[in-house]
Amino acid sequence: MTFRAALLAAAAAFAPVAFAPAAHAAPKTTLTVGMAAQDVGRLDPHFAVSTIDRTVVVWMFNGLVRFKPGSMDPQLIEPDLATSWESSADKKVWTFHLRQGVKFHGDYGALTAEDVVFSLQKAADPKRSAFSADFAAFDKVEAVDPATVRIMLKDTVPSLLGLLTNYSGGFNVSKKAVEKLGDNYARAPIGTGPFAFASIAANQSLELVSFPGYFRGAPKIEKISYRFLPSNASRDLAFQNGEIDLEYGMQDQTWVDRTRKIEHAVVDVFEPGELTTLSLNMSQKPLDDVRVRRAIAYAVNRPELAKFQGKDVAREGQSVVPVGYLGFTADNGLPQFDLARAKALLTEAGYPNGITLKVVHTQLPSMLSQMQVVQAELKRAGIILDLQVVEHATYHQMIRKDLSSMVYYSAARFPIADIYLTQFFHSRSTVGTPTGVTNFSHCNAADAEIDAARHEPDEKKQVALWQEAQRKIVAQVCAVPLQETLQAWVRRDDLDYGYDLKGSLSLGPLITEATHFK
Amino acid sequence: MIFYVLRRLLAAIPTLLAVLTLVFVIVRVVPGDPAVAILGDRATPDAVAALDAKLGLDQPIWRQYATFIGQSLTGDFGRSMVTNRPILTDVAAVLPHTIDLTLAAVLIGTLVGVPAGVWAALYRNRAIDIAARVLSLIGLSFPVFVSGVFLLLAFALHWRIFPVIGNANLADPIDRLTKLVLPAVTLGLVMAAYITRVTRSAMLQVLGEDYMRTARAKGVPWRRVVWRHGLRNAGLPVVTVVGLYFGILIGNSVLTEIVFNRPGLGKIIVSALNQRDYTMLQGLMVVYCFMIVLVNLITDLAYGFIDPRVKQA
Repeated sequence: MTFRAALLAAAAAFAPVAFAPAAHAAPKTTLTVGMAAQDVGRLDPHFAVSTIDRTVVVWMFNGLVRFKPGSMDPQLIEPDLATSWESSADKKVWTFHLRQGVKFHGDYGALTAEDVVFSLQKAADPKRSAFSADFAAFDKVEAVDPATVRIMLKDTVPSLLGLLTNYSGGFNVSKKAVEKLGDNYARAPIGTGPFAFASIAANQSLELVSFPGYFRGAPKIEKISYRFLPSNASRDLAFQNGEIDLEYGMQDQTWVDRTRKIEHAVVDVFEPGELTTLSLNMSQKPLDDVRVRRAIAYAVNRPELAKFQGKDVAREGQSVVPVGYLGFTADNGLPQFDLARAKALLTEAGYPNGITLKVVHTQLPSMLSQMQVVQAELKRAGIILDLQVVEHATYHQMIRKDLSSMVYYSAARFPIADIYLTQFFHSRSTVGTPTGVTNFSHCNAADAEIDAARHEPDEKKQVALWQEAQRKIVAQVCAVPLQETLQAWVRRDDLDYGYDLKGSLSLGPLITEATHFK
Repeated sequence: MIFYVLRRLLAAIPTLLAVLTLVFVIVRVVPGDPAVAILGDRATPDAVAALDAKLGLDQPIWRQYATFIGQSLTGDFGRSMVTNRPILTDVAAVLPHTIDLTLAAVLIGTLVGVPAGVWAALYRNRAIDIAARVLSLIGLSFPVFVSGVFLLLAFALHWRIFPVIGNANLADPIDRLTKLVLPAVTLGLVMAAYITRVTRSAMLQVLGEDYMRTARAKGVPWRRVVWRHGLRNAGLPVVTVVGLYFGILIGNSVLTEIVFNRPGLGKIIVSALNQRDYTMLQGLMVVYCFMIVLVNLITDLAYGFIDPRVKQA
C-alpha cells in the first residue's frame, strides 16, 4: 500500500464523521470573517482601541456623521445620525439636527438627542472612554430638543466633524442600555448600526446578526461570524479551504503575491498607510546634537525599506505626517539617502569612529525584522544600534518611560495633520510628562505653528501653518520618517462590499447594509 | 483510600495559596500595565491613572492581595480587566476543549508509545527497535506548529476530510470528535515519541531481571511474562512520565491550539499575559493549579495500583 493509499484508507475510515466543508454549502447570507486575534477586548465602542475591536464596532455603531463608505477622505464626510448641521461664525457653537426614526438594537427604542449628549459626555470622560483627550476642547453638550444637539467648545478644534465620525469617540450608544447593563454593556453592546451583537464565545468568535430596523434598510448579509484566528498560516489555510470569506491579511508582498494566486481570491490593499517613524530622543547624548540626528536621517535608505516590505503594501515615508493627510507636504527638505554625508556629519560632530545607541525594541516579528533592516542600514554609516529586544507590552511601557534613545513606531490617525503633529511632536505630548502621549523625541520645534493652526479659521492659512510645522520638525530631525504600510485583506470574489474600497479608518472593510454575496 | 485522597487534597491548599501569591507578585513585577492595554497608545498618564483607579490598581498592594485572596476563597475570580467578562464564564467555555485535547493526546500517546517501547525493547538493536528509535526521534524533533501545518495541508486542504478551524460545537459529539482528531494526533504523536523512549529503557532494565528468567523457566508463556511481569514492573517510570506530560499538556498545548484554531486554556493564558490582564491570569492559575494537583493525585493513586509496595509505604 502506498503512502497516499494509506492516507486515503484512513480518510475513508473517518468518512462517517468527515467534515462537510460547511462554508461551501453555507447560505450566502452568512459572512465569516477571519481576524488575527485571540479575542476581542471591550465591545464598548469608546474603548475600541485595537484593530481587532475597531474593525467590528463600526459595523454596530454610528456617528453623527460618517466617512463615505470606502473612503477616509475628511472632505467626503457625510450625514449619518445627523441629517444636517450648522456652526457659529467663530466655529465654537455647533448645532446638529438628528435623523428621525433611528432605532437602537433590541428593545431600547429610538435614538434621541439625550442619547447623543450622553454618548459625547461618556466619550469625553477618562473613566468611561479611551478617547477622552480628543474631547478636551468640549465645553458643553446639550439637547436643545429631542431632535437637536448643541455642542459648545472652549476653543476651536481643527476638525469637529472628524471627532463626530464613525471612528474612535464619535460612536453613539444607547443611554438606556448603558445605564441598565452597567459593566455588562461592554460584552453585550447596543448600537444603531446595520449589525447587532448576538453572542460571544471566548477565544472563538463574535457573532453578529443583521438589524432589520436599520435606518438605511435591512442589511443583505444576515449573519456575521467574526472568528479569532491568530495563526497567519492557519487563517490562510481556512480561507483557501473556503471556511472564511474575508480575511485579515499580512502587510507583506510575499503574502499578497501568494494570496492573489488563490482561485476566487481578491486582495484589497487600502488606506490608511500607517506611517513608521524613528523618533530620536533629543534629551539624550549624542542625539542632543542636531548633526548626529541629521547623520541618521542621511543614513536611512527609504526606498530600500519600502522595497523590503513590498511594492503593493508599502511606500516611502515622505514627511513626519502621512501622505494624503490634510496639511501634508512633501516639500519639507527631508534628507535623502547619502552615506558620505552621514559619515561627514558624524565626524563634524566629533564622532569619526561612529556611535552606539541603546534602543528598546519589541519582539513582535514584523516590527523586529523591519528594525533589523534599519539597524543594517545605519551600521554602514558607523551608527551601531544595540537593540534591547523585549516583549511587546514591556516595550510600550519602557518607551513611555523615556528609556530608549530611539523609538520605532507605526501609527495611523484621523487624516488631518494636527492629530499627528500634536501627538508626536508637540512638547505637551512629551513622554514622561502628565500630558504625555507619543512625543518620544522631546520635540518642541513647531509648538507655535501647531497651536496657531488649531485656532486659525482660514483653512488655507491653517494648512500653511501645518506645512511650516513639518519643515521645522524635519529641519530639527525630531524623527526620521521610514515607510508607510497599507492595509491588506483578502475576500472571496463573490463578496461585494457595496462600495469601492479605497480606505477605511477602522483598518478593516466596512460591512454595510449593501454588502452582499453575488 | 478516601482518607488518603482527602489528605492529599488538603495538602494541596498551601500549594494553591503559594502559587496564587507567586502569580499575584509576578504579574505585578513584570513591566506593563493593563490600563495601557485597554486605553491604547494614545492614553495620557492622566487617563491611565483614572482607569487604574477604576480597576483598583491604585490601591495599596496589600489591599489588592487581600481582596484577591478573599474573593478566590469564595470562588469569585471577578472579571477580566481587558474584556470585562466574568473570568469563570470564559474559563468554563474553553475548559472542555482543553480537557478533550489533553485526554485524547494522552490516550494516543499512551496507546502508541507503550507498545512501541515494549516492542523496541524486546527486539533490541533489530529493525523494529531502530525504526522505533528513529521515529521517536523524528516525533520529538518536529515542533507541533510544523507537524500541525503539514497535517492541515494534507487532511484539510488536499483531502478536505477535516476542517482548518477547530472550534467545535460542544453540543454536537460528531463535530467535537471531528475537530479533535488532527490536534490530538499532532500532540499525541509527540507524547508517543517520548513514552516510547521511556518505556523502552524501563523494559530493557526489567527484561534482565532474575524474576523474568524465573517466570520463563517455570513455563509462563512469553507474552504473559512480558506484558504482566515485565511491563507492570517497568510501569512506574512510564506512569510518572504520562502524569508529568498530562500536566504539561493542560497549559502548554497553546501552539496546537493556535495552529488548529481551537479555544483552550493555553491560548487564554498567553493572551492574558500579553495584555497584562492580572485578574484573568490569577483566575487561570487557580484552575491550572487545581488541575495539576488532581493529575498528581491520580498519578500517585496509579502508583499504588501498579506497585502495592508504594501503597504500603
